[in-house]
Amino acid sequence: MGPIIPLFEISEEINLLIAFLIGLGFGFALEQAGFSSSRKLAGMFYGYDITVLKVFFTAAITAMLGLLFMNYLGMIDMSIVYVNDYFMSSAIIGGIIMGAGFIIGGFCPGTSVCAAAIGKIDAMYFIGGSLIGILLFGQTYPLWEKLHNAQHLGSLKLSDSIGVSDGILGLLVIAAAVVMFWVGEMAERRFKREDINNEI
Amino acid sequence: MRIRFVLSIVLVCLGLVAAILPQTKNSSMELDAQQLLNEIQLENYVISVDEMANALINNDPEYQLIDLRPEADFKAYSLPGSLNIPFDSLFSETWVPYIDQIARKNVFYSNGTTLASEAWMLTKQKGYKNNYILNGGLNNWFATIIEPKEPASTDGEEAFFQYEARLGMKQFFTGAGAVSSSSSKQVKKPVPRKKKKMVAGGCS
Repeated sequence: MGPIIPLFEISEEINLLIAFLIGLGFGFALEQAGFSSSRKLAGMFYGYDITVLKVFFTAAITAMLGLLFMNYLGMIDMSIVYVNDYFMSSAIIGGIIMGAGFIIGGFCPGTSVCAAAIGKIDAMYFIGGSLIGILLFGQTYPLWEKLHNAQHLGSLKLSDSIGVSDGILGLLVIAAAVVMFWVGEMAERRFKREDINNEI
Repeated sequence: MRIRFVLSIVLVCLGLVAAILPQTKNSSMELDAQQLLNEIQLENYVISVDEMANALINNDPEYQLIDLRPEADFKAYSLPGSLNIPFDSLFSETWVPYIDQIARKNVFYSNGTTLASEAWMLTKQKGYKNNYILNGGLNNWFATIIEPKEPASTDGEEAFFQYEARLGMKQFFTGAGAVSSSSSKQVKKPVPRKKKKMVAGGCS
């Protein structure tokens, strides 16, 4: 069995078309899950709704298990799967900014587009804000360049850096996710907000 | 609550299976035996010594010569501008970026062609592109460029042009004086004799 989609045998256009279709599905799923309400994301912070955690961890686990099993069956070549470069300082600083943006704005970049598509005005402001941020960052890039490229660790995988196999790391992630789901649901009961939970 | 228990257990079980699965490595870029055979039959992986010599003389940046012989041999003699990657360290971390690249044409050579062919096969199988073999290796290089044989007098004009070009290359690589072309035994084109003039004399 070869790769499911032979990447080098399909044209760039078909590739983009596939990406477009996957994007449509992603947006639809986000909207269906209620992510176009900023209160859903804020719920993660206040503890009354942990859907975000569940969705993203389920997505990660599905993709992870899919890759592990397909690799075992010889359907995917992991050596050409792109792994993002890891810049430690920018990851930490960016993570803090992104997290603050999540709770202040109530959207993540993806859900803001979903919400804007169904006419949420706060989401449109959110997108405007992110675009201004991108523009400012781009225009003042020379100021940040050093920080941006600091502590470059290459295409690092967590399993390699802690020295376990991909499968064992997968098991650890699943265990962590299951524990988080249970703890999260306990939090949901504890911090219940009837007024909001009924609306979203 | 029940469904949550079931889902949690299913997830953990899947994780356990993933953890005990052996880690396999699939390389879609590698060629199988049939594909390799096709590549070999195409025979477009050899670079002739004349082409290589020309490239060296013109400082063509497209080619990168790679000497596969041991370091001692490389130090004793090597082609100009070549890089020494001993055959046994071909796939070491240091050298893989040199043989798995898309910028230049790597030309493998050793004394004969055995080592170079093996290296080419191995890299081809790995899916690396842009690797070639110097046709005939150093032996052929000496026989062709350093000690070019004079063509037989019955050979065509082409052979003589090539011979002269090789003499020029020899001069470039060894500094030895090129033998002037006049000494070659090329059959000169017969010059048509001028028609004898009619005996002219008298008062005609």
